[in-house]
This record gives sequence, structure tokens and C-alpha cells, in this order.
Amino acid sequence: MIRFDNVTKVYKNGTVAVRSVSLDIQKGEFVFLVGPSGSGKTTCIRMLLREELPDRGRIWVAGREIIHMPKWRVPYLRRNVGCVFQDFRLLPNKTVFQNVAFALEVIGRPKSVVETQVPQVLELVGLSKKRDNLPHELSGGEQQRVAVARAFVNRPLILLADEPTGNLDPGTSQGIMRLLDRINRTGTTVVVATHDAALVDWMRRRVVELDQGTIVRDQARGVYGIDATTGSVPRTEVGARRS
Amino acid sequence: MPLSADYIARETATNLWRNRLMTIAAVLTVAVSLALVGAALLLKQGASNAENYWQRGTQVTVWMKASANGSESHAVGSELKQLPYVHACSYHSQLADYHEAKTLLSPGEFQALTVQTTPASYRCTPNQPQYAQAVYNRFNGQPGVLKVSAPFSQIHTMEETITVLQWVFLSVALVLLLSAGVLILNTIRMAIFARRREVSVMKLVGATNWFIRLPFMSEGLVQGLIGSVVAAAVVFGLHALLNSFANPNNPGTVLYQMRLSGWELFGTDFVVVLIGALIGSVGSAIAIRRFLDV
Repeated sequence: MIRFDNVTKVYKNGTVAVRSVSLDIQKGEFVFLVGPSGSGKTTCIRMLLREELPDRGRIWVAGREIIHMPKWRVPYLRRNVGCVFQDFRLLPNKTVFQNVAFALEVIGRPKSVVETQVPQVLELVGLSKKRDNLPHELSGGEQQRVAVARAFVNRPLILLADEPTGNLDPGTSQGIMRLLDRINRTGTTVVVATHDAALVDWMRRRVVELDQGTIVRDQARGVYGIDATTGSVPRTEVGARRS
Repeated sequence: MPLSADYIARETATNLWRNRLMTIAAVLTVAVSLALVGAALLLKQGASNAENYWQRGTQVTVWMKASANGSESHAVGSELKQLPYVHACSYHSQLADYHEAKTLLSPGEFQALTVQTTPASYRCTPNQPQYAQAVYNRFNGQPGVLKVSAPFSQIHTMEETITVLQWVFLSVALVLLLSAGVLILNTIRMAIFARRREVSVMKLVGATNWFIRLPFMSEGLVQGLIGSVVAAAVVFGLHALLNSFANPNNPGTVLYQMRLSGWELFGTDFVVVLIGALIGSVGSAIAIRRFLDV
């Protein structure tokens, strides 16, 4: 579903964000990208969205090589990749319903589809009763759930989340993770960039650790830091599905 | 991607209302700038009309010798009529010129004149003043022709003045248009900059560039149209004001000679509205370009 092949990204100021990263993520996987700030997590997410282009290497998303993809095709790529950010990125002047519906309107879905799918996804994220509220009338957790609903409403193949719980308290963060887990169970590949150790340890999913742009660990059902059970940095079961 | 007119209309109306302060700023900028452009165009057209008016009065006179026979006089007359650059000619007989001289000359000078010694003449109006020289070249020295006279130096001065005036007004209009374009573009850019987050969300959920661009262009079009209609109204008012000062009983005044017909005013207003619509929509498309390149 996602493949990085020897990808390197160097910013104009000379910072090496990602260095020779190779990574395979299978359909339906739930993967945590972990690592300290500046380790290259966000750059990886941005490259998957074609917001950044690597200097070397190739990237495949949903079976398409995206580095040489013509610009006009990028919007169509993004329709297959839902995205959630730390700062929610909701449209402040639109209601919850309108924010979610916007993702369908933008890709030209008819009104009948919008009116069927948006209530369904609002039900999934538990915001049916707040469909007419504006974002500023919601809590942080609720706003993030709207963002997840918007990212998922057109049933993308992949859902990327960049620090989705960065602005939330631990309890709310767990709620968001449960939601992402439910989405993952529908067959959607989920990639979460985070440095929330508690959540990663709680979820026990595949963990890819980056440090200074390099993958230093790729562990199935891993934890945030070095695996306490083995005391080592295992590199096993890459690509394994959650049983 | 299907992009419905309903969606564009809805987005345009919502965004214009939501960003009404920016909308008012853009509309006022368009109105003020294009009113100045329209006024300059009006003056340029007025100068052109004044030139035409003055040109209509330019006469070239072919004086026949008093001794010229009928066939020589007839030859000159028919040749003048055939010239494509001569608008109209009238023949003044020796007797008519004699009577005219009586009103122009002092009694002392007139006393020396008789009908027989007074030259007959052809008074012609060329299509353009500069053709007076062509008439001169053609007929001066021809059999039976005494001399060809025209106000050559005045024509030259008038042409130069009008040309300079027209260039001045055209340059002013162009400079104003350029500054109006920059001002309007800047205003639209500020409006779009305030909404860059919205644009980035649109990009994020897979909107194509045209999907994002069209509502912005439609907004710019509406702002440009409203602003330019206000500008056209100002130009209309200015025209009415100038016309009220142009006294038809005194056609010699510059204001009277510069007056514009209804169609010319309509043409100027049409150009103003067209520029407003173009600047609004194309300006928006240009202003949004950098925010689309993500």
C-alpha cells in the first residue's frame, strides 16, 4: 500500500530530514512512526501527500509511484489518502456537517451521497448530535474527531495522522486512538506519526522508529522505546498484521 | 470533476458576505482606480473629437488667375472633385470673391480691385489637414492657377498639440490602469492570504486547482463588476458635468468641441466595466496561483 525505496530528503538549508529510508506498509496495517522532534516523521507524512518531494529514491502510494506523478494528478492521489493533523485544520466558518461534507463536495460527490455518508461517519465518530455546531463550539477532542470524520468520509485507502493527539489530554487521546483503530478494522491502512509513548505502548501495533532521518527500528506489535520484554531493538515481523 | 454553478454561486455569495470588509476594500479600489482611468479615456476621446472638429474647419483655397479661361478653370474644378482626400469643394466666382474682398479689405485696398482682376477660387476641405499640402503640391503652378493657399503653419501646430494631448491622456490612462491593476491585485491577494488556510484544507482533501480557483475568480469578477459599475457611473456623471458647461451657443469653446456623443460615453463605460471584470477575475486567478502550488 505504501512503499519507500531508499528515500532521502534534504531541505534547502542543508538539513537532512530523511536519509535512505526504505519501508513497506501493507494494506490494512496500523503503523506508528515514532521518534523525537526532527527525526523525519512529519517529512515522511508530507512526502506521502506529495507536499514535499524527495531528493532521491521513489515512493509508491496505493500502487502508484508518486514522485513522477504529474501535478494535475496530485488531487486524485489525495482523495485516496485521508489526513489528520495536530491542529485539526477545520474550516472555522463551516459547521461540523459542512466540514465533513466539504471533503465529498470537493471531489464532486452528488448531494444524495453527501446526505447519506456524512451522517454515517458522524455516527461513527460520535458527533451526530453536534452536526450543526461550529468548530469553536467543540472541545479539542471533538474537533479532532471531526477532522478524522472528514479524512475518512470518502473511505480512503490510507489514513495518515500527524501527531493527532498532540493537543489532547490522555483520556481524549485514547478516544481518538480507538477511533483510528475502528477505522483500521474497516481495512483502511493507518499511519500515525507520534511521540506519545503511552499511546504507542497501549496500542501495541507496528512501530517504525526514526532517528535523525534514519529508520533505527521496525517492530511488529512494538512499544515506543526499546522493547522492555527483550531489552533490545528488535527488527522482526516487519509488515505483520495485527492478529 | 463536476463543478456545479450552484456550488460556485453559493461559495461566492457566502465568501463575499463573510469577507465583506475585504470585499468593500476591493470594490472601492476598483471603483476609484477605474473612475480615474475612465476619466482619462474620456479626455483622450474628447481631445480626439476636438481635433476632428478643428480639422473640419481647415480649408485649402486654389486661386485661379483672373486671366484663366473656362476650360482651365473647369479642369481644376473636376480634378479637385475626383481627389479622394478632398472632402468637399465649392467654386467662388470672380464676382463672389470680389464681394467677399469688399468685406475683408480696407476701402483703400479695395479701390484698386475690379471684378475682372479678382481671382475666382475653389475652397476645399481636405479629409485630414495634412492633405492640404498634397492639394498644394498638385495644383500650384498648374495652368490657370494663381496660387494655392492654406494655413500650413497653424495646421502643423494644431496637429502637434493634439497629438501631444492625446498621448498625454493615453499615457495617464495607461499609468492609472497599471496602478489600478497593482492596487486591485494587492487587495485581492490580501483577501486570499487571509483565507490561505481554507485553500490548504481544500488542497488537503483533494480539490483540483480549478475547483479552488473558480469560486475565487467568481468573487473577483463580482467585486470587479460592482467596482467598475460604480466607476462607470462616476464617468457618466463627469461627462454630464462637462456637458453642462459646454455652451452650444458658443461652439468655439474647447469644452464644446470636446463633447462626447452618447455612444462614445457608452463605449468608455463599456471599456471601464470590461477592464473591471477582467482585472477582478484574472487578478484573483493570478493572486491565488502561489497558494495553489502545494
